Amino acid sequence: MAATTTTTTDAALARLMVWLSPAYPVGAFSYSHGLETAVEEGAVTRRHELVAYVEAALLRGAGAVDAGLLALAWRAAEAGADAALDEIVELGAAWRGTAELALEAMQPGAAFASVTLAAWPEPRFAAFAARHPGRLTHAVAFGAAAAWHGVPLRTACFGWLNAFAANVVSAGVRLVPLGQTDGQIATAALLPAIAEATEAALAVEDADVLGSAALAIDLFSMRHETQYTRLFRS
Amino acid sequence: MLHVAATSGGTRIADLFQAAPLRWLFPDVEADEPKPGALVNVAGGLAGGDSLEIALHVEAGAAFTATTPAAEKLYRSLGPSTVIRTQVQVAAGATCEWLPQETILFDQARLDRRLTLDLEAESRLLAAELLVLGRAAHGEQVSGGSVLDAWRVRRGGRLIWADALRLADPFRDAADRFALAGANAAATLLLAAPDAAAHRELARDCADGAASLVAPGLLVARWLGEAGAVRNALGAAICRLRTAALGHPPRLPRLWRT
Repeated sequence: MAATTTTTTDAALARLMVWLSPAYPVGAFSYSHGLETAVEEGAVTRRHELVAYVEAALLRGAGAVDAGLLALAWRAAEAGADAALDEIVELGAAWRGTAELALEAMQPGAAFASVTLAAWPEPRFAAFAARHPGRLTHAVAFGAAAAWHGVPLRTACFGWLNAFAANVVSAGVRLVPLGQTDGQIATAALLPAIAEATEAALAVEDADVLGSAALAIDLFSMRHETQYTRLFRS
Repeated sequence: MLHVAATSGGTRIADLFQAAPLRWLFPDVEADEPKPGALVNVAGGLAGGDSLEIALHVEAGAAFTATTPAAEKLYRSLGPSTVIRTQVQVAAGATCEWLPQETILFDQARLDRRLTLDLEAESRLLAAELLVLGRAAHGEQVSGGSVLDAWRVRRGGRLIWADALRLADPFRDAADRFALAGANAAATLLLAAPDAAAHRELARDCADGAASLVAPGLLVARWLGEAGAVRNALGAAICRLRTAALGHPPRLPRLWRT
């Protein structure tokens, strides 16, 4: 594993933990990534089905696309390649399987930029956020901020995917419902998928090859728009 | 490369350049239909390494319906992908339909397709893609190959929608109940129009609720299922949306019907 070891300083680790904590006010807790409809329609009724749902999102769906964009944004930011970074911002903003998945990516992106500018000021991130008002997805904003704050790429990718997975699991705990311990067992079971999704994201060199196979999740998300009883915004 | 333009006598061909294996044919116009164009692949199928470039430009005031006379078949590839690059440009005040029939992937076929739609605020476009995994009539199961089937939509030069279906070899995703859920067909229908939001309920009704206004003036509906059922549902949705949103007759282009 020596080749994959990355050194994370305490300063970088602090940022990673704080930015991805459910306490960081980006509002991710109000999104279920289509899971609310999957539960309503009986497709997710048990822990192993919740794990399968999150695995699909991580490896075949938005997790794969967003983490790929995160990695591209991190590299462009690190290199100071503004034009390339701006293209990734535009692609991230346009990549929207459904209206609610777009909201799930954009609203926390704007909130992340806003609170990070206030609490963790950094001139490059400030200029970047000013160039793209209302156009930053959470993954792209996080990737750029991580690069400029010295959070290593692999760590940033792995952390972001872990937080994404934990957020959907948390929605599942409330929706299925599952006990808190079952939720933690699900989160632990997702570790291999998070690691695999991280490797896949790091291997992305060209935004043109990004894609999703999680069409079933897109269909759940579309039907969520007209679901009668809704706790979540996606 | 095909340009169609509005004239006092209706929509006419302004410019056409074509090379084998693609050929545009122009069937007679039905009285109440827009000018039709049929894109024919005279080779009768596509193999790995084949590369097609298609550009269609519908100029201001023109109305055009592009379709294909039959399903496109992608044969098994030993390595290289079949590359298809399509650009459809619809000027302000123009109306276009991009309605090819289904693309059928044989087992181990490799597709790299990108559909780029360049629109203006006042253009109207109804566009569909239907992908079928395996020859359903032969009961063929597709075990692998590769698919990258991408959409890019720009309005006024700005990217407003990006999407891609990506299946990596082997096709584990096909069986995953939260990916393709065992379906052998997936269809996407896109309506771009200033009043697209007004047709969202109709699109939902056609797609069992699976429709969404993904950006202002941009409506997307999706189907996932058995090939015959998906083709029928997509066809019915095309009929209803082309009538409601484009003012065309409530029927499929003639080549879909024969």
